Amino acid sequence: MKKMIADIVGFLVLGSLAAPAFAAPASPVTLKGDVKLEKTIVENGISKQTLTDPKVVVPGDRLLFSTAYRNGGAAPVEHFVVTNPLPSAVTLAPESAASLEVSVDGGKSWGSLAKMTVADGKGGRRGAQAADVTHVRWTLATIAPGASGAVQYHAIVR
Amino acid sequence: MKLSKKLLSTAGVLTLAVLGAQPALAAQTTAGTTITNTVSVDFQVGGFSQTQQSASDTLTVDRKVNVTVAEVGTTTTTVSPGQTAAVTTFTVTNLSNAVLDFALTATQQTGGAGAHSNTDSFDVTNVKIYKDANANGVYDAGTDTLVTYLDELGADTGTATVFVVADIPLSLTTGNVAAVTLTATGREGGTAGTQGIALVQTTGANTSGMDTVFADAAGATDAARDAAFSAKDDYTISAAALTAVKTSTIISDPVNGTTNAKFIPGATLQYCIAVTNAAGSATATTILIQDPLPAGLTYDAGYGIKINGTVTSGVCNTDGATGGSFASNKVSGTLTSVAATETKTLLFRATIN
Repeated sequence: MKKMIADIVGFLVLGSLAAPAFAAPASPVTLKGDVKLEKTIVENGISKQTLTDPKVVVPGDRLLFSTAYRNGGAAPVEHFVVTNPLPSAVTLAPESAASLEVSVDGGKSWGSLAKMTVADGKGGRRGAQAADVTHVRWTLATIAPGASGAVQYHAIVR
Repeated sequence: MKLSKKLLSTAGVLTLAVLGAQPALAAQTTAGTTITNTVSVDFQVGGFSQTQQSASDTLTVDRKVNVTVAEVGTTTTTVSPGQTAAVTTFTVTNLSNAVLDFALTATQQTGGAGAHSNTDSFDVTNVKIYKDANANGVYDAGTDTLVTYLDELGADTGTATVFVVADIPLSLTTGNVAAVTLTATGREGGTAGTQGIALVQTTGANTSGMDTVFADAAGATDAARDAAFSAKDDYTISAAALTAVKTSTIISDPVNGTTNAKFIPGATLQYCIAVTNAAGSATATTILIQDPLPAGLTYDAGYGIKINGTVTSGVCNTDGATGGSFASNKVSGTLTSVAATETKTLLFRATIN
């Protein structure tokens, strides 16, 4: 398994993709994506969660995706919205499905999973489940200058 | 994180109901697939929307090798001594997230437990492995393919039905058991028509390519995490156990007639050959009885030969049907069938010279 962490800082998504990243204007916000493999280890009858670099990842494994952020600017950052489409090869873990703001329609509508419905393939609707989630989103009202943190979600490799 | 916490408090109770209805995970992610997680961030500074930011990371899904072999059905294969092409049936299922070949071996054992609370006591011969070519679940001689491996078995529950076909030696008795173990061992897939090389599990440090992890359970005779799985089935003999008893009774003599007849020259004897099949045995069919007539006796052609007659309390009844033949001073007859615990007779008469 090859793990690559692409720290795309100040990358111009809305601008020209051909523009070199270093030529982009400095953004106050820096982001860093990471992924860890979650394992439950039972030791002396007590089970505990461990996080390791995902050297070997096979279907059924649990992953913890995180995105660290930092406001390196002088002004507060407001309405900080982190939108994270789920990779198609993973499904959202139940505990994250229960706690995060999610979308089951490709990011068009948002809310808690319990209130979502999806087409049941038979002409009707059924309650959405963790496996139906397409996107997760975090909204932070403000990030003070110099402040940092991370958002994360648990997923299971399909 | 404010919003997410708020959602937790409102969604917590409802989630339990949703979890209960969660379907099984869909198809496994194919080995070598990259998972790229990308986030995009929109934000404002001083009330003005800023350029969207994004970050991502990527990992590659490794190859998880898992296989099961299962006996089809839950009962032994009942066979007769001397039977050819006796079949036991297995399924081999590729639970890996990659297409693989599977080497197949059928092994026998000497003693030890069989598959169905029985004990191995003999070996079958001429053991061959066939793949169910027409996928009908039944061994069809001439149609199904003789194989040593399964070629390119599909990822994620690709299944093949495999028949172990063997011959049963003679001279075995009811209850004898021959256990056979079918082992399927994962081999590299990717090239149709040839068996791939042995799989090698990636040990130690991470490699830049796709790694291989053995995730199979322990089967009947193989260990866990060895890229192989094995299952047992067995053959159990159901033989006929025939015993024959020959009795003679005097019917009449020329002096006393039928009352208190004696074995004197001219007297008529009745011979009865009673064939019994033991309890628990297979039904015997086409039982040929031959009885050379002793010197000093003359075959009673007028009475003939009665076959498939019965016995009541040890006494032969004269209820058989006419049949059989007499040639070269020998009585011959064929009983149609004798089931377990049943007794059938062949009856004929002769006179003392």
